[in-house]
Amino acid sequence: MSVHWLPRRVLTLMGTFVGIITLIFVLLRLIPGGPFDGERALPPEVEANLRSAYHLDEPLPAQYLRYLGRLVHGDLGPSFRQKDFSVNELVGAGLPVSLGVGGAALCLALLLGITAGTGAAMKPGSLLDTTLMALSGLGLAVPAIVLAPLAVLVFAVLLHWLPAGGIGSPRHYVLPAFAAALPYAAAVARLWRGAVLETLTEPHLLTARAKGVGRVRLYLRHVFPLAAVPLVSWLGPMAAGLLTGTVVVEQVFDLPGIGRYFVQAAINRDYTLVMGVAIVYAALILSFNFLTDLVYGWLDPRLKVHA
Amino acid sequence: MNTFRFSALLRRLRTMLALLSFAALPAFGADTLNLGLPGEPATLDPHRYNLRIEETVLEDLFLGLTTFSAEGKLMPGAAESWETSEDGLTWTFHLRADNRWSDGTPLTAADFVWSFQRLLNPRTAASLAYFMYPLRNAEAISRGEAPVTALGAEARDDATLVLTLEKPYPHLPERLLYPTAFPVPRHVIEKVGDSWVKPQNWVSNGAYVLHDWKPQQNVQLVRNRHFQPPPIAGAVIYHSLASAQNAYNRYRAGDLDAIAGFPAGELETVKASRGAELRLSPQLSMMYLVFNTRRPPFDDRRVREALAIVVRPDILTDRVMRTGDLPAGSFVPSMVENYEHPALPHASLSLAERQQRAKQLLAAAGYGPDKPLHVTLRYADGGDGKRVNLATAAFWQQLGIKVDLHQAELKVHYADLRQGDFDVAQAGWLGESNPEHYLGLLHGRTGETNYGGYANAAVDALIDQAREQKAIAPRHALLHDAEMLAMQDYPVLPLYSLTVRRLVRAELRGWIDNTRDAHPARFLQRP
Repeated sequence: MSVHWLPRRVLTLMGTFVGIITLIFVLLRLIPGGPFDGERALPPEVEANLRSAYHLDEPLPAQYLRYLGRLVHGDLGPSFRQKDFSVNELVGAGLPVSLGVGGAALCLALLLGITAGTGAAMKPGSLLDTTLMALSGLGLAVPAIVLAPLAVLVFAVLLHWLPAGGIGSPRHYVLPAFAAALPYAAAVARLWRGAVLETLTEPHLLTARAKGVGRVRLYLRHVFPLAAVPLVSWLGPMAAGLLTGTVVVEQVFDLPGIGRYFVQAAINRDYTLVMGVAIVYAALILSFNFLTDLVYGWLDPRLKVHA
Repeated sequence: MNTFRFSALLRRLRTMLALLSFAALPAFGADTLNLGLPGEPATLDPHRYNLRIEETVLEDLFLGLTTFSAEGKLMPGAAESWETSEDGLTWTFHLRADNRWSDGTPLTAADFVWSFQRLLNPRTAASLAYFMYPLRNAEAISRGEAPVTALGAEARDDATLVLTLEKPYPHLPERLLYPTAFPVPRHVIEKVGDSWVKPQNWVSNGAYVLHDWKPQQNVQLVRNRHFQPPPIAGAVIYHSLASAQNAYNRYRAGDLDAIAGFPAGELETVKASRGAELRLSPQLSMMYLVFNTRRPPFDDRRVREALAIVVRPDILTDRVMRTGDLPAGSFVPSMVENYEHPALPHASLSLAERQQRAKQLLAAAGYGPDKPLHVTLRYADGGDGKRVNLATAAFWQQLGIKVDLHQAELKVHYADLRQGDFDVAQAGWLGESNPEHYLGLLHGRTGETNYGGYANAAVDALIDQAREQKAIAPRHALLHDAEMLAMQDYPVLPLYSLTVRRLVRAELRGWIDNTRDAHPARFLQRP
C-alpha cells in the first residue's frame, strides 16, 4: 500500500487538533457565567483568592499559553470543581468505563447487525426478511434516551435481574451496552443486508455460483469481504460515536464514564475538565477516521490508485 | 415456542446474568449503610467545600466544636462545654479529654487554631471563608491585609480554646456546625500538602474515616477506631447519583437504604405505594422573587406591592407544584426558631380584594388597560422553576400585565442577578436558624447578594443595632422590627421554603426528620 500521502495527512490531523483545542478554549470563555458563580455569591476578596489560585486573573493569552505548555507535558491541569482530583485522574478513572461500555456496544452492534443482515439478505422478501427489517426500523426509531430508562424499569426495578445503575461487576455493563448498541445494530443490519444483496449480483459471484462453490464458502470467501467495504467506511464514525457518544447511557445508568463529565463540567464551567474530555474525544474521533481511511485502502485495492 | 420452553429460557438467561456478578464492592459487612447522594461531592477538604452534599459526608468524617444530634439539634462535639464573657466578645471552649485523630495522635486546641488560620489564609482560597468572619480580624486576613496569626483564636492550653470576636455573635455555636469550622490534621497536611485528602493519607477526627473515593461512583467510609462512642454501622457508602430518577430507580431496585430527592412527579405514587418510607422535611430555606429596585418602574413601591400581593404562595405550593413545599408567611423561613414571624401586610385580604387593590395601585402608578405594565420574569433551569413562574405570570396577567418569561442556566441566572440585569427574578437562599442570615440580604450595604439593590436607612439601622446585641432575644426583636419595616416596601416576594423529599427504608433505625436535614451516619443502624 502506498503511503506517500501519510505525512501530509498526519500534519492536517495535528492542525485540526490544535484548532479544536483553541476553539474550545475561546468558546468556553465566551459563555456567560464563570466557575465560581452560584446561589451563594462570594465576597469579592474570596473570589479574588479563588481566581488567583486558578490563574484566572491572568490575561487570556497567558492562560492559553499556560494551558498549552501543560498539555505538551500530558498535564490536563487541575479540575475547577473536583478539587481533590486532577483532570488526568478524572479522565483516567472515567475513560476505561466509557471505552468498556462503548467497546461492548460496538461488538454487540456488529454481531447483532451482521447476523440479522445476513439472515435477511439470504431470502429477500421472505417473512424473516420483512420481520428483521421491521425490527431494525424500530431499533433505529427508538433512541437510547427512551430505550435505556425502559430497560432499567423492566430488568432492574420490576424483575430485579440486573442492577439499576452504577458499576462494579460485568452485570453492570449488560443493560448499558444493549441500550447503546441497539440503534447501531439496527443500522448495521440494514446496511449489511443491502451490501450483501448488491454483492450477490456481481458477475464474478455468478461465475462462482455456476462453478458450484458451496454456500458457506461463497459467503465467507467472496461475499463478505466485498460487502464489508461500505460497512468499514461507516465503522469509523460509528466506533467514534459509540465510544464517545454514550453520554445518555452513562447518565441513565449512573456509569462513572467521561460522558457524564462532558455535560456536567460544561454546566459547572469547569474549564479544564471540559477541555480535557473534549481533547480525549477529539483525539479518539480523529484517530478513528484516520484508521478507517487506512483500512479502507487495504480492503479495496482500487482505492490505492486514487489515494 | 410454548410457555414451558420460554420460561426455561428466561431461567437460563437469569442464571447467566447471575454468573456475571462478582466483586461488586469491597468486602463491606451487612451492617454497611448504602446512602444516596444527589450528586458528586466536589471536595472532602472542609475548608474548600461549597455544597450541601459535601456537608453530609464531611459531618461523618469530622467533628467540630459543636455538632448535630440525631434529631438535628445542636449539641457539644469536640468541645464538651463553653462560656461567654460579659461583653459577648470572648468565647472559651473546653475540649473533651478523649479527642484524637484517627491515627491516634491527640487533638488539641492548637489544631483548631491552626485550622481556622488555614481556612482564612487567602492561599487556601476557601469559598466559604466568610462563614468565620465573626472572628476578630478574620475578614482582614481573608483580604490579605493582616497575618493569619492576628486571628481571634488562641489555644490557652491543650484543652482550652479561646475565640475572640469582632462583634457579639450569640449564634456562634450554630456557626461552628459548618465544616468551615472543622479541624484538619496539621501534622499530615504539613507533610503531604494538598494530597492529604487522598484515601492513603487520610486522617480525621469524626466517627468515620475515608476508605476510598471513586469519582462519580461512591465515597466509602469506614469506622474510626479512635472515635468515642463508636458508631453503630461499621461502614457507610455514599453513592453519587446522576439524577433524581436514577436515585428513585436504584432505591426501588434495592441498592440503597435512603435517598434524598426523587422526581417530584412521583410524589403521589410514592404516597400510595411507599407511604411508610416517605419522609418530607421542610428545609431552612427561602425561595423568593426579587424586584430590581434600581430599575423603573420597579423603583416604585406601588408597582412592587401590586405585583406582590396578587401572588398566592399557598396556591403555588398546594395546587401548582404539589411537591410538599411550604408556602412562605414572610421572608424569614417559618422554621427559624425563637423568632416572632411578622405577617405580611396583605395577609388578611382575599384574592379578590388583593386584585382590587393591585389595580388601584397600578392605576396610581400610571398603568392600566391603555398602558399595560411590561414585566420580564427571570428564572433558572431545573427544579420547579418553570411551573412556578408560569403560574406567577398567570396571577399577573389577570391584572392585564404583559409578562415575558426568561429562562437561563443556573450560573448565567445568578451572574445576571449579581450584575443587576433583571426586572423581577427568582432567587433562593438556604441557611441557618438565624433571621439575620436572611434579612442581611435586604441590608443596603450587603453588596451583590442584595440583588435588587434595596436600601432603606431605617431597616439598615435596625439590622445594625441587632448586630450589636449580645443576647439572642433582643437581637431577634430588632430583626423582627426590621423585617416588618422592610416588608412594607415589598423589595421581595417570599414564595416558599423547600421540602426535601426522601425515601428511607422502614427498617433503617435512628433516622429522625429535622429542618436541618442532618442525619449523621453514626446514629443510623441497619437491622
